[in-house]
Amino acid sequence: MSPRRRRLGHAALLVLVAVYSLFPIYFITIQSLKTPQEDVFGNPLYVADPTFENYTELFAGGEAKVRGYVIVPRVPFLLWLVNSALVLLASLALTLVTGVLAAYALGRLRPPGWRAWRRILFASYVIPHTILFIPLYQVIVRLGLDDNHAALVLIYSTMALPFCVWILSAYYRHLPREIEESALVEGATPATAFLRIVLPMSRNVLIAAGLFTVGTVGSDFMLASIFLLDPDKQTVAAGLGVMDVSLEELVAVAGVNLAAIPVVIACAAFARGYVRGLTAAMLEGA
Amino acid sequence: MLQTARRRQVAAAYALMAPALALVLGVLAYPLGWEIWISLTSFSSRGDGGAAFVGLASYARLLRDAEFWRALATTVAYFAVTTAVKLVLGVGMALLLARPSRGRALVFLAVFLPWAYPGGVTVVAWYWMLNPPLITGYSVFMGNLKHAVDGVFGTGAYAFLSVALFNIWRGGSFTAIFLLAGLNAIPTELFEYARLETASAWQRLREVTLPLLRPYMALAVFLSFTTAFADLGNVWMLTGGRVVFPVIGTHAYWLAVKSGQFAEAAAWTLSLVPLLAVALVFLFRWFDPHEEKAA
Repeated sequence: MSPRRRRLGHAALLVLVAVYSLFPIYFITIQSLKTPQEDVFGNPLYVADPTFENYTELFAGGEAKVRGYVIVPRVPFLLWLVNSALVLLASLALTLVTGVLAAYALGRLRPPGWRAWRRILFASYVIPHTILFIPLYQVIVRLGLDDNHAALVLIYSTMALPFCVWILSAYYRHLPREIEESALVEGATPATAFLRIVLPMSRNVLIAAGLFTVGTVGSDFMLASIFLLDPDKQTVAAGLGVMDVSLEELVAVAGVNLAAIPVVIACAAFARGYVRGLTAAMLEGA
Repeated sequence: MLQTARRRQVAAAYALMAPALALVLGVLAYPLGWEIWISLTSFSSRGDGGAAFVGLASYARLLRDAEFWRALATTVAYFAVTTAVKLVLGVGMALLLARPSRGRALVFLAVFLPWAYPGGVTVVAWYWMLNPPLITGYSVFMGNLKHAVDGVFGTGAYAFLSVALFNIWRGGSFTAIFLLAGLNAIPTELFEYARLETASAWQRLREVTLPLLRPYMALAVFLSFTTAFADLGNVWMLTGGRVVFPVIGTHAYWLAVKSGQFAEAAAWTLSLVPLLAVALVFLFRWFDPHEEKAA
């Protein structure tokens, strides 16, 4: 094969991969921009006459709207967005703080049995939270967190934590000792040495752990709709999930699309750091 | 002197680990214990409400239940199919993205999106594509496709396919990025050396790249394993709650929520434990070997 044809083939593959990755998102966004007429008679692959009705509908006030014979309930969407952001940020904070502390202990201080502890924590990743929701609900009620955002924060954090501790501790374990030692010789406490030197060095691994948490939180709609029932407290996933018609209702798609915008921007900003962080954790065989 | 320092270090280590352990154990220990206990009783909303200890009766019934073996086979098939495709796609996309070229950064972001985009909307997207509501312009076409697929492979094949496709699309993206990170972690000298020593690109892939990627592939398989075996929401959503091919997760959910047979449901759920344990053993053997490497 000539180098030119090889380059062309490579470019074609890249385009193919991009189309494959983006098509479903493009497709559903197109559908959410259609008028009912175009939905029926139009081409499924593009939108000729876009309308933002599904999107503006989310922010319209009032109790309900009548469309034909159907009563469409109005939803407190802004509130849901705020709730989602709160839950996401709190889950991130809880996961990263507890994760970094544990990872530092496991990777750096290595108490006796650290390998077993690390494995036990990671093994908890296999526990299927969604299937365990009945006893989970009992725990949440016992903690007094029924219908409370904290319930979701706790559960999401336990879902993301195993992987985060795994990669963070792998990274800390392989950092050369000398990095902290010079600071300790200068008279810094271990805590300062960690905060000033080790933590900033692990920035990319933190990004990787953080984005993994975002992905974990973002993929759930089951737990959210089980644990949050009060419409004013729901997250976007929970709220749209219990609209019951969510699959048939493009308003729901519009809603999640809107909620996705900040997530996508964050991912675009941090994607490179994500890969670097994973690589850093994997170096020397994780 | 040194010993007290070490002792203090160990104490500090336990103190630092405490929040994470408290979180994980606090949230999960009781549910697991409850699930195990309930599976040993006759707890069901169908009975008189009491929960008598019946030992392993539920498990014995499970082993004789043809439905269980069918669900288990479906679950294993779901895992095997999606994981194999995700690995092939993941390795392919990772190799593609590892080579410098124009536009790579944009394609990289595109590959990142299926996993990063909130699952709630992408699952709906796939549902609309594959099982459109009755009134759209392409409903007839997809309906014909569905009947064609079901006609060839049996009822439920299309539903299985749509769930598998979604899992592959979303998880393949994660696998690709993960393996790309793995490729970056392999020293480039190894590849340069391989270029001199091997005859063809295919031989290089088989004899150098794939073996070097193996530990990362093991971890990717493991992560895929848990998503497949614990999958409940996606199967549920993509089949519109009409579960024509129950996997273990959906059947357990069905038993517990729709018919209140909690003991039965718990036994179904816990039947996955041996499989997950085996997966963990293999994972740790490949990914976290005991012998310490010379750092």
